[in-house]
Amino acid sequence: MRRGGALRSSLMLIPFILLIGFLVYPVAIVLIQGLLQPTGSSFQEVVGSSLTQRIILFTVGQALVSTMVAMVLGVPGAFVLTKLQFRGKNTTRALMTVPFILPPIVVVVGFLEVFGPGGIIDSILMALLGSDTSMFNIATGYIGIILAHAFYNAPLFILMVSASLERLNPDIEEMAQIHGATFTQRLRRIIVPHIRISILAASILTFLFSFMSFPIVLALGEGSFMTIEVQIWNAFRFFDYGEAASLAIIQLLITMTLAYAYIRTGVREREVTGRTSYVRTVNIADLSTPTKILLIVYSSILLILLVGPILAIIRSAVYDPNTHVLTLRGFESLLNPGMDGGLIPMVNSLFYASLATVFSVILGLLLVFSQQSKMRLIPDLTSMVTLLPLGVSAITIAYGLMIAIAVPLGLSTNPWPLIVVAQTLIGVPFSVRAIEITRSKIDPAILEQAESLGASALHRVFFVELPLLAPGILVAGFFSFAMAIGEMSATIFLARPENFTLAIIIYRYLSVRKFVEAGAASLFLVVMCVAAFIIMERISENGYGGTV
Amino acid sequence: MNMSAYSSHRNPKVTIAAIAIAVVIIVGAYGLVFWQAPKPTLTVYTYDSFMLWGSDPDNIDETVFGPFEDEYGIEVRIERLNTDANGIISKLVAEQSNPVADVVIGIDNILILQAQAKQVLEQYTPSNIDLVEHSIIDALDPDHYVTPFDFGLVTLIHRTSELNATVNPGIENLTLTNLVDMASMLVTENPHFSSPGLSFLLSQIAVYEKLMNADWRDWWRAVKDDIDVQEGWTEAWTKWDSDSARKILVSYGTDPAYDASWTGGAPDTAVAPIYYDGVDYAWMQVEGIGLVKNGPNPTLAKAFIDYCLTAAVQDNIALNQWMFPANTNVELDPVFDYALQLDDVSLLNELLTGTEIATNLESWLNAYDEIMLG
Repeated sequence: MRRGGALRSSLMLIPFILLIGFLVYPVAIVLIQGLLQPTGSSFQEVVGSSLTQRIILFTVGQALVSTMVAMVLGVPGAFVLTKLQFRGKNTTRALMTVPFILPPIVVVVGFLEVFGPGGIIDSILMALLGSDTSMFNIATGYIGIILAHAFYNAPLFILMVSASLERLNPDIEEMAQIHGATFTQRLRRIIVPHIRISILAASILTFLFSFMSFPIVLALGEGSFMTIEVQIWNAFRFFDYGEAASLAIIQLLITMTLAYAYIRTGVREREVTGRTSYVRTVNIADLSTPTKILLIVYSSILLILLVGPILAIIRSAVYDPNTHVLTLRGFESLLNPGMDGGLIPMVNSLFYASLATVFSVILGLLLVFSQQSKMRLIPDLTSMVTLLPLGVSAITIAYGLMIAIAVPLGLSTNPWPLIVVAQTLIGVPFSVRAIEITRSKIDPAILEQAESLGASALHRVFFVELPLLAPGILVAGFFSFAMAIGEMSATIFLARPENFTLAIIIYRYLSVRKFVEAGAASLFLVVMCVAAFIIMERISENGYGGTV
Repeated sequence: MNMSAYSSHRNPKVTIAAIAIAVVIIVGAYGLVFWQAPKPTLTVYTYDSFMLWGSDPDNIDETVFGPFEDEYGIEVRIERLNTDANGIISKLVAEQSNPVADVVIGIDNILILQAQAKQVLEQYTPSNIDLVEHSIIDALDPDHYVTPFDFGLVTLIHRTSELNATVNPGIENLTLTNLVDMASMLVTENPHFSSPGLSFLLSQIAVYEKLMNADWRDWWRAVKDDIDVQEGWTEAWTKWDSDSARKILVSYGTDPAYDASWTGGAPDTAVAPIYYDGVDYAWMQVEGIGLVKNGPNPTLAKAFIDYCLTAAVQDNIALNQWMFPANTNVELDPVFDYALQLDDVSLLNELLTGTEIATNLESWLNAYDEIMLG
């Protein structure tokens, strides 16, 4: 084997070693110990219980419905974003990424404030109709859960599908049009096959998100709904490790089956996508009146759903509902370096998330390289491993990191490196996805030329591949950062007071009804996310579109 | 990155090394800044809102535990974990082989019945245990795995301006049967995630099974479509406070006192204890302080538990924690006259034995889930 090949192979091993050490091993310990524990429930008991079956049905059902709603809301948005020329397009894109970084608890509060009983919409309706009883509530119960999941995930569809649409060669469509194909025909024969893969990718991520949903179901479900993840947390809290392990295994079986199916359908066809980067756009003025009306209705719905909760956060940052006054106290507290202040959590958040971003991008790069491997099974295996952090119960990972790594190594007194590890892992599925797409657009001839011109492996990677991957790396970095900074499950379990992050401090503020402080901290997260996104778009020449 | 970036032939190894060095320096600097000087520290695990409901929550730890720090020349770290007491026990179980905490505060009289809770605690009887009445000790844990810290009565509350005997006669002498009709006004907490929520579930079971000789599940079947079950007490309180349709909340009998202290007058908040056959009932929740088994500083920890029963700590409980201090010699602020008193009610705890709860808790919760998710 050539030297470069050996270097590459050993580098490629790094992500596997890390994922095995910090994900597979701790989770396996929890599962094995749980199943072997004599006191808890056995696997058969758990599977056989009608309660478990009902929970599984609900979990899968709501995840499917959430995915469909997010798709229905998101896909037209992708067309609008790609095909339509309008001002503020970049800002729109930036705002769409905000849901990713918001800790679920913030989404919950924002949702209730806009769509809940006594919320903004309800108050307006009550005032308009002169009613003194609440008449509008779509924030709680089954509908609330689905909508909150759609809020999280519709942007994923919009961004991913629009990225794919941008790569659809307009000549093909034009040609079809010239030959008399109707819009429906073009949609069925050209457009849908082209965006199918991106829809599939967004669907699997959305499904996994909603499948694993925990705080949203708990908070908006009003006690009538439970996902498997909620029940796992229940089991841990009442020390039934057997039940927790059994449920985590059921979860894993479902998510990995799905991930496998996704990989089987997705990987093969990835090559089909074109490499064009120019899109034919239209002006709003050129649209027919019915289309315009449809567009306005759709945009309004999307706007209310996505922007509503963000506006609620802005309001909550300056308006104290306890005393009904406007105040800047929240921002003061954000800069307070003391015990209950936000300064240390802010520094922690930035520090952990930055480190996690660097690591998760490096891991993402290595995983993408190993996905290109010509060896049998390696690409599929890599794709599975890549989705693993989204397919395993976050609570189980957190608990596993605690008992299998933190406590034996004495890291429980100062667990910040583990927090970084946990935040790194959660970003990997997204960073791989972002880099992968850019990688598939690189002309392999360029790499071969570099090799034949005598570039060493290291030189080739550094001076040819990495620069070509730069836009993908930026997007990977952005998503890793967003995922890391919003991570709750592991951080909340591992962190000691000096390790608190903004996501945790928001949660704490809410638990003692310090709404303004929580609002200010949430707003800071929003602003940081939007800023990061805009900076990323500026740096990336190709723009954001082609790479997600 | 543009084309000129790879025309220069800097050695990539240098770049990699530079990035590596930069990361090491940043990490090292962060580690140094946030490195804790290894001074003797006593670590106390407690739940998220411990003692934070007073007028000066930022300095409460210094006020209450500062004298102990000075006396022993150590630092007391009150670690408010982002969870309730069940979550704390989960963490202690996880850390069992290498404990971080010395003391834990907040284990209540239901949680201590769990075998795992006892497994991570060391039995300890404080030298000054006489400061606490026997009845309270027995209500919490006669085996002394935990010592009473404070206690409160879990009951239903409402606002008299919204709900009073004139409009809703049912609110006076509120029976569980009346409550079925008022279920669309009721907010409670999830018994899996909240101790008042679990206390309410056990209250209801006690009344149905022990007083009425009825199947407790019938009540939940009747209310399931109308009742609002929030995750925890804060969420439930927020709901009760903001949603005009939800007028009754499962909370603590000290809420009127809290209300009075904020408004400065007679409180609008009132209690409505569960009524049955001429008697008012409530559930007593006793929160305890326990010694962590194999904790780093057992001697200090024991001294700390003793200290927690003295007036230095107990004096601060009423107005910061809104519970009754376990040390009943402590004089209470006059606003506590508005609270539901121990003498006003008959305790539902006495209807269910510890063994009964320990044996049945899991199946009760499962049955509850079956009904509520059905």
